[in-house]
Amino acid sequence: MPLVIKDEYPEKLFREDGKRLDGREKTELRPIKMEVGVIENADGSAYLEWGNNKIYAAVYGPREVHPHHLAKPDSGILRVFYRMTTYSVFERKRPAPGRREKEISMVITDCLKPLLFLELYPGTAFEVFIEVMDADGGTRCASTTVAALALADAGIPMKSLVTAVAVGKIDDQLVVDLSGIEDKAGQADLPCAITWFNEELSLLQFDGDMNIEQMDEFLKLAKSALSEIYELQLQALKKKYIAIQEEVSGGNT
Amino acid sequence: MSFKDEEQVSKDDNHEDEEEEAVISEEDSDLDEFEDEETTRNLVVPGEILTTDTKTYLPGRGTLLTPDRSKIISLNIGLKQTKKNYINVIPLRGFYTPRPGDKVIALVTDKNPVKYRCDINAKDDAVLKPKNTMKRGRISRGMRGGPPDRNNSNAEMYDVGDILIAKVLSADRLNSPELTTVGKYLGKKNNGIVISIDPPKIPRVIGRDGSMIKNLKNLTKSTIFVTQNGRIWLKGEDIAHERLLIDAIRKIEREAHTVGLTDRMIEFIENEKKKRGLK
Repeated sequence: MPLVIKDEYPEKLFREDGKRLDGREKTELRPIKMEVGVIENADGSAYLEWGNNKIYAAVYGPREVHPHHLAKPDSGILRVFYRMTTYSVFERKRPAPGRREKEISMVITDCLKPLLFLELYPGTAFEVFIEVMDADGGTRCASTTVAALALADAGIPMKSLVTAVAVGKIDDQLVVDLSGIEDKAGQADLPCAITWFNEELSLLQFDGDMNIEQMDEFLKLAKSALSEIYELQLQALKKKYIAIQEEVSGGNT
Repeated sequence: MSFKDEEQVSKDDNHEDEEEEAVISEEDSDLDEFEDEETTRNLVVPGEILTTDTKTYLPGRGTLLTPDRSKIISLNIGLKQTKKNYINVIPLRGFYTPRPGDKVIALVTDKNPVKYRCDINAKDDAVLKPKNTMKRGRISRGMRGGPPDRNNSNAEMYDVGDILIAKVLSADRLNSPELTTVGKYLGKKNNGIVISIDPPKIPRVIGRDGSMIKNLKNLTKSTIFVTQNGRIWLKGEDIAHERLLIDAIRKIEREAHTVGLTDRMIEFIENEKKKRGLK
């Protein structure tokens, strides 16, 4: 007999002690682990574990564009391929890229584009492949974060990193970093990304209902969470090199 | 095209022994920036603020002055360097961009009657035209000043899969670069090993005034040819020496951002020689 599990969400998204279902405070992030240079044959690569999300990103480029008609004579192009593996979600995901993947690829492309100097590489393409191995809410934010790391690891000149996080409303309370279940059962969900060289929003999507006054609160919450993740990104990029420095100098640097 | 005869092959082999000198000529003086005293071992990442004092410092290579002129930020992951009043970032990762005058190791990937196509580890394939393979000299004619003898032409013939040492004649961001194989040390390589490393770490393999490469050469008794596109041609006495040399170059690539690398490499090679029982 096939295993059937219904889509059932708990009535309350907060526990008795006021914490969220996974034991987090309202403004607490899920545990994040980042690593760069994980894929040897890619020009740049990164791996991210964000709660239950497990995502790989690989960057290639600049290289020739195929199909050739996509190439622009006056600037390079950035192509992002966001894909989910069939086993990344509870019910098997069909392997063909669907509407959702196309949308997220486009959103991430627009988010990363202001960072790069595409006009210096006419007729070429930078390609970012994002593979979601395990998904549990907020994959578009996590993918953006890890794509920025992979681009930096590839040595492509860029103005700064980009960081993304989702904030949302569950049970009439504002929380940071929604998990999968909070995303589905909650009231509002607002993924946003920031480019650090001008501190501008590079991605802002919204789903749910809230009033305009809450928007400011949302963004304030997001900003503090974003700086926290940014620190982790910087550490992840430097860790590889600092480890070697310490190894050769016997831990004196 | 099978115009090449036996004589030409042996001719190629003859000038292999010139490589001893070839190495020295390869060191570009402006590329020893890794060893600069003012290069801090400070790692910076894209977007990191290098200085907010924009009055005294100017943005150099790998940096950007923000539009409001309040700070200079880094564009690469690399090492911060202050030279006079310029702030530079020496990248640790990156790709090769061909520039005129660079010597590169090229792999012939395609050929037709008018040009060869070569992979030079850049975004575009390079083009090598037969006229740029022509050695100077009298064009041999057939009997009684007839048409040029095609079988005895001065143009060198290459095949798909050949390894060439070539010079970049022209390169810009729009057109594919053009190569030449006419010149000292340039031409086809019939033996040896080619390995590739990250192009930004090439200056480190050469070292300040070629110090690193001299040590590598003397200690492993090999000939090395380092080119700007991140490829290194090497040939040693035997395979054991070549393996040692490759290990050494890989170690340089890995530890390119650390201090005192040359001394460490000498120590490494001497230790490894004892371990492996090499002379």
